[in-house]
Amino acid sequence: MKNEKKFRKNMKLSTGFFIILFSILILYMGYSVIRNGTSWYATPYNPRIANARSNIRGGTIYDRNGVKLAWSQDSKRQYNETKEIRRACSHVVGDIYGKSIGIETTYAKQLYGLENDLFTLIQRFISGDYKGKNGKDVTLTIDSELSRFIYKEMKGRRGSVVVMNYKTGEIISSVSILTFDPSTVNKDKLEDTALVDRATMGRYPPGSIMKIVTASRAIDMGISMEYECTGETVIGGQKVTCKHVHGKQNLEEAFANSCNTYFAELSVKIGGGSLLSQAEKFKFNRTFKYSDFTLYRSNFEVSSEKGDIAWAGIGQYNDLITPTHAALMVSAVANDGVMPEPKLVRKVGDTDNMSWNLISQDRIISSATSGKLKEMMKKAVDEGTGTSAKIPGFNVYGKTGTAEYVEDGKVKNHSWFGGFLDEDKPYAVAVILEGAGFGSSAAAPLAKKIFEYIILEASL
Amino acid sequence: MNSKIQSRSTAAVVVLQTLFTLSAFALLSIRNGVFDPWALIMGACLSAFNVVQYYLLKKMFRSMDHFVILVSQFLWSVGIVEIYRISQRYAVRQAIFLVFGTAVMMIVISVIKSSRDFGKLNWLFMGGAVILLASTLVLSRAIGGARNWINIGPFSFQPSEFAKILFIMSSAYFLSTRDKLTSFIPYIIFTAVCVILLVVAKELGTGLLICATFLILFYSATGRKLLTILGIGVFGAGAYGSYRLFSHVRTRVEIWRDPWASYNAEGYQIVQGLLALASGGLFGTGLGKGMPGAIPASHTDYIFTVIGEEFGLIFAAILIVFYLVFIVRGMIIAMNTDSIYDALLVFGCTAMLSVQSFIIIGGVIKLIPLTGITLPFVSYGGSSLLSSMIQLGIIEGISIKNGSRDDRELEMMGQIMI
Repeated sequence: MKNEKKFRKNMKLSTGFFIILFSILILYMGYSVIRNGTSWYATPYNPRIANARSNIRGGTIYDRNGVKLAWSQDSKRQYNETKEIRRACSHVVGDIYGKSIGIETTYAKQLYGLENDLFTLIQRFISGDYKGKNGKDVTLTIDSELSRFIYKEMKGRRGSVVVMNYKTGEIISSVSILTFDPSTVNKDKLEDTALVDRATMGRYPPGSIMKIVTASRAIDMGISMEYECTGETVIGGQKVTCKHVHGKQNLEEAFANSCNTYFAELSVKIGGGSLLSQAEKFKFNRTFKYSDFTLYRSNFEVSSEKGDIAWAGIGQYNDLITPTHAALMVSAVANDGVMPEPKLVRKVGDTDNMSWNLISQDRIISSATSGKLKEMMKKAVDEGTGTSAKIPGFNVYGKTGTAEYVEDGKVKNHSWFGGFLDEDKPYAVAVILEGAGFGSSAAAPLAKKIFEYIILEASL
Repeated sequence: MNSKIQSRSTAAVVVLQTLFTLSAFALLSIRNGVFDPWALIMGACLSAFNVVQYYLLKKMFRSMDHFVILVSQFLWSVGIVEIYRISQRYAVRQAIFLVFGTAVMMIVISVIKSSRDFGKLNWLFMGGAVILLASTLVLSRAIGGARNWINIGPFSFQPSEFAKILFIMSSAYFLSTRDKLTSFIPYIIFTAVCVILLVVAKELGTGLLICATFLILFYSATGRKLLTILGIGVFGAGAYGSYRLFSHVRTRVEIWRDPWASYNAEGYQIVQGLLALASGGLFGTGLGKGMPGAIPASHTDYIFTVIGEEFGLIFAAILIVFYLVFIVRGMIIAMNTDSIYDALLVFGCTAMLSVQSFIIIGGVIKLIPLTGITLPFVSYGGSSLLSSMIQLGIIEGISIKNGSRDDRELEMMGQIMI
């Protein structure tokens, strides 16, 4: 060996190198387990949950008004006596066989008393329940009667409805059809997608409700475009059509009438990159990390083709959105431009859901832009495509959507509506009915019924 | 160091370690509501064995490094506790290997403390390593997709565990005696052959281990930056090549990126390991309350996650810190030698044990792609434990050699003073 001194120095360096490597091990392990532990634990693949279910009396799941949705009795899991409530709330509540992902799975740790943080251990020590034979109760933000009402009004049509308090982020109702009955899910013969929660996992083309994003960008950029709608326009070789010839349109009118050609031209004027960044502000292409539940990613893409940008700006091309995300989007407009964090759980045991106190809210758009959008959404309901959601004497804000998709070689339409009420009833609604036709003819009337229910129901 | 202070502080460590082992086995004895006297016997035997081993070594070999041996004792005690919890039969076997390993370790210490480099014998070591690795391909049967076991009568052993040690010894010889680039060629070819044989036998973990250890040793000893970067390049190209060539390598990478995508097939083990860690939380479920049955290879490669589940994240972090203590002490011993060969020997053993711990812990916590390899001292496995104890013996042997040199020097100084 030539240079012994250097070798000894290198040994010192290696020691430092190993100290760094092993510190990374500790930090990464702590970080990933503390960050993802709960969601890892709550997967249906965890054999510990099934094991606990056979040994421990599970906690009760209540709705926001104290209605029991699920409880344990004589080592059997029971569900609400009313079949309609069971089926309306099934995707939120979940089942104990790990077939669907609901509170039964995501909150299994609490429901079956499997937590072992120091705080719980001390609590158990004080209460004398050393072994933790009793799980904790979980109170949801869901209103089971409203869910039942929505379930009935959907009349078996496939789709989903999400109702949330846009001030607090509480999800008041989340109904998805097809659905199942958690008390018999292990025996029933189910239709193919009955276990999929469309509200959080169903990714649909948004159609014209995407115009909320496009319009918000135009307002931000101060574009005041006037355009003569002739019923169709050709952009980059792709033809975009309208249902009617709208004639001369400004932004407000085009939004209210949901004029496709106007918004196609507007999208091109805004530009692909600008549109993409606005969509990402609205949380498209973002992984949702919420403490209570998982929400699938929504998708927004643009290409260098002008035609693709035009279609993307009116909610087609490769745009995809989940109903819960749609509800969040209109909530942001309703809530002065701030998107609330969605919440499904109010209380665990006697304590408020910890993260409840730390509601994280994101400002998506400026207060001024959201004010302008609100006006436009009001106009859409008052005199535009959303008139079938109009309630005399009340301010209803909304946007319809008619999203084209192809099934069995035929072009069909998803019917969308996203809207909200004034702040004395701070609720936002997203409705999608699969293949039900125009937004104005199916989704908007259903939203109207839901708004009427909310207005009349004193507890909301 | 003042020997009185050291012996007092180590006595405390010995007492704590005994308490840990005894209380863990006491818990295990009443685990299922049925009293299991064997757990208590096991606990008593293991604690007694550790204490006797420690004081015997201390008496036999002055200037033995106390920390290295005590950390190792703690590691294998934790291992045997957890293995007992998984399977009593395996724990008994592991304990027998521990006794046997101690005897081998003492022989290794005696040889190493009074030897110099093994000269031409190293060519024999290299040949031996290659034969060991090649023999697995010929004689073995596949276990868990990897062909790395040889059965001789009732015994089965993992030749690669011993090839590892021969690799360190020949590395130390070549790197300490050679300078010219061309004179390294046989050594480099030898390393390449070892790695190729390991990859063909699907022992990716050990292959990775040899590669990494080689690069660390080669760079530290020769200081040749360019060649080391070239080595890293070849390693990268080889890794990429085997990624393209072998489906089992591709699978490893895919399940590392997203184990949840195939949670009930290829990704099952990683997912179950992560679930175990998540179930344990900071403080663990408590000994005996986890579900190691759900994790494949829970007593060998995956023992870290079982410990994480039952003892908790904090304890798992402490375990990692114990490895660090071992590493730092090993490095101090290496730096304290006066022959380069000795330094490289200890440095090689320490580096290899560290890289091995890093590969498997990093693999089960999904920091790096998982490659099956045992956790030194903790995992169940006779070959693995024996191999780790031989490396421990080498480190201790050199430490003792350093110590007797210091004694001699002190004596000489004393004579001069008089």
